[in-house]
Amino acid sequence: MTAADEAPLLVAENVYKHYPVRGGVWGRSVGAIRAVDGVSLAVAPQRTLGLVGESGCGKSTLGRTLMRLETPTRGTVMFEGRDLARARGDELQRLRREIQMVFQDPYSSLNPRMTIGEIVREPLVVHAIGSRTEQARRVLELLGTVGLDASTIDRYPSEFSGGQRQRIGVARALALGPRLVVADEPVSALDVSVRGQVLNLMLRLQRELGLAFIFISHDLSVVAHMCDTVAVMYLGRIVEEAPVEILFARPAHPYTRALLAAIPSLDPRRRTGAVPLEGEVPSPIEALAGCPFAPRCAWVTAACREDVPALEPVETSAHRAACIRRAEVAAAPLPVSGAPPRAPGASP
Amino acid sequence: MRWPRLDPITRRRLQRFRRIRRGYYALVILLAAMVLAVFAPYLAESRAIAVWYRGTLYLPTFQYYPMRTFGQAPPAGWDSADIEADYYRLQREWGTERILYARGHSAAGADPAALAALAAKYPDRDDYVVMPPIPWNPYQSDFWANEILNDIQQALDAGHRDDAEWLALRDGLGELAAAIRSGRIDTLLAAGKGHPKRTLGDLARTGAMVSLAGLGTSPPNAPDLRRRHYLGTDSQGRDVAARLLYGFRISIFFALFLVLTGQVIGTIVGSLQGYLGGRFDLVSQRLIEVLIAVPFLYVVIVIAALFQPTFWLLIAILSLFQWIAITFFMRTEMYREKTREYCLAAKSYGASHFRIVFRHLLPNCLTPLVTFTPFAVVGAIFALTGLDYLGYGLPAPTPSWGELIGQALQASNRDKLWLTLAPFGALTITLVLVVFIGESVREAFDPKPYARYE
Repeated sequence: MTAADEAPLLVAENVYKHYPVRGGVWGRSVGAIRAVDGVSLAVAPQRTLGLVGESGCGKSTLGRTLMRLETPTRGTVMFEGRDLARARGDELQRLRREIQMVFQDPYSSLNPRMTIGEIVREPLVVHAIGSRTEQARRVLELLGTVGLDASTIDRYPSEFSGGQRQRIGVARALALGPRLVVADEPVSALDVSVRGQVLNLMLRLQRELGLAFIFISHDLSVVAHMCDTVAVMYLGRIVEEAPVEILFARPAHPYTRALLAAIPSLDPRRRTGAVPLEGEVPSPIEALAGCPFAPRCAWVTAACREDVPALEPVETSAHRAACIRRAEVAAAPLPVSGAPPRAPGASP
Repeated sequence: MRWPRLDPITRRRLQRFRRIRRGYYALVILLAAMVLAVFAPYLAESRAIAVWYRGTLYLPTFQYYPMRTFGQAPPAGWDSADIEADYYRLQREWGTERILYARGHSAAGADPAALAALAAKYPDRDDYVVMPPIPWNPYQSDFWANEILNDIQQALDAGHRDDAEWLALRDGLGELAAAIRSGRIDTLLAAGKGHPKRTLGDLARTGAMVSLAGLGTSPPNAPDLRRRHYLGTDSQGRDVAARLLYGFRISIFFALFLVLTGQVIGTIVGSLQGYLGGRFDLVSQRLIEVLIAVPFLYVVIVIAALFQPTFWLLIAILSLFQWIAITFFMRTEMYREKTREYCLAAKSYGASHFRIVFRHLLPNCLTPLVTFTPFAVVGAIFALTGLDYLGYGLPAPTPSWGELIGQALQASNRDKLWLTLAPFGALTITLVLVVFIGESVREAFDPKPYARYE
């Protein structure tokens, strides 16, 4: 069964998030940072969608827009048929219960002045769920779920390690019983030694609670471990989307190829010798004619500089790429053959 | 019981504050002084704390008793039911009765008739008055030198030696009482040069009699322990110590109220500026700049000219300007704090703006508030003192340090050192204590030793 067989939980269509750039004496809007530039995606229930891309490509902004922490400039975000992008008041509050977030930095995402119990209980208090005793019981249950001791309830975040803090963040995200969790680089601030624990915790929770994840990361090995489907973002756009095995085996966009080639390996037989990407990411303020990746692309042709390529299917409908030479790129052999790299700490 | 649940940052700061001895003891002293100031009527008041009179206990501190209650003779032309009892005089009179009774008792020996007469003559020898340490209230004028010397002089002129001695004893003029008793007073009074007869006032002025020295002059009077003016009297004969105490009470509570209202308003405004940002921040910031440009002293002077300033009116006027300083700090703190992810997390589960600002962000933004508050208190005390000195503060006869300093700096009072030293000393000590507290708080809240900005 693939993700496409089920009715999707969340569907984003043509989502734009532009930030005005102000200039001049009166602070007129003289341009826009196109952080998210026409993204469409769907997340199936109990599946994980990975969002990858280099820093500044708009993946965090997209995550926050899907969470309605940012209101999209244009486009719709439908959660089971309800428009999250336009919801207000009570309806927004009800939708917020369904989607929760795990943040990147476990040090700043927990309020240092609140105890663990208060932090985990806070969403329940905000939504007025249950009596005080029921809330207390739920907090204990949640802490148990993420593998923390009940005695942690009266302690403060500063007494915990990064991995433990991230578990607390997960417990807080689970408090309202969401069906979709947006995890924004949940392990990139953690020591490699505890990454695996947190990732496996998330996988276990997905199995037990039937969660869907949007997993934002720049680390492809982690994405390979976690995700069912992967969307690669470049400069505010999705340039390739595919089931994880296909993406790693037959990338159809030169940017994806470059990302895969950049995965470091300890195995000398798998060293690629591939040339890393050259050049800078173009400014997101100027609108480019043609493919935004063209200035850095090894496969570039004159036609690339004319139109912005749309996401189009490659071989199967589940695999789409925004490249006019996608068929050639997908057919070209990868510098390294073999399975996608394993995530650190993942059990064999 | 466990400590109330303080988060570790606050707990660490409190520990550090306690470890800075200077600030900690300054706080203890200042708090003790404030508690004492609350109980000022038991420290400086013309009403007695307790009176034991003919088998009954009276507690007059908050209760009016006329002179008649204690069989006290009123001044000429008054009814003893209309005037409040003069407890300090009662205390001295009854004390004198005890002395004279004891003296008579040893003279009478075992003669029952003489003892009975003695007992009838001194009926109040077993009655007691407990006065506050300073037996003066801050409003009462004490022209004691004139009163005492006139009374004794009259008794001497009328030939009532016993009465004169009694009065001298009553007012603690032991040397004069002995002189009257031995008759030496006549030689002293007759020794005038070129005058047919001198008066007690002359003896006081010329220093011919040591126990009278300092009497006979008009207020301000130098400190005198016999009359229990520990810091002397001001130019209207009011006790300086009592006025200092009540002045402290008014200025410290004035400052606390003022700083409280100012900091609350400033915190709310500054927090909203920082949290909301954007247009609200821009507009309110310009308004604040306009307000800063208004010279506040002139505003106070204009308003004081239109209305009679009262405690609450002054707080209201000064609050208009007091809240501004803290807004800058709260604004920047909020700008910094709102970008941290726990704020985003609170938004993501739908916490209201109000809840985010006051439950999540504010507790993390309190450092400037706590560290600036002691210094704001210093400023407020100084502001009130300054206004009082200029005459735009609380209306007379409210006891006030500024007004005392004003008296001390008058040309005619330049040699009355007690008038200068007392209010300046009190002001200096108070401000130094508060500054000590402020410095220690600032040191204890210094983020450097354990800051972690990941």
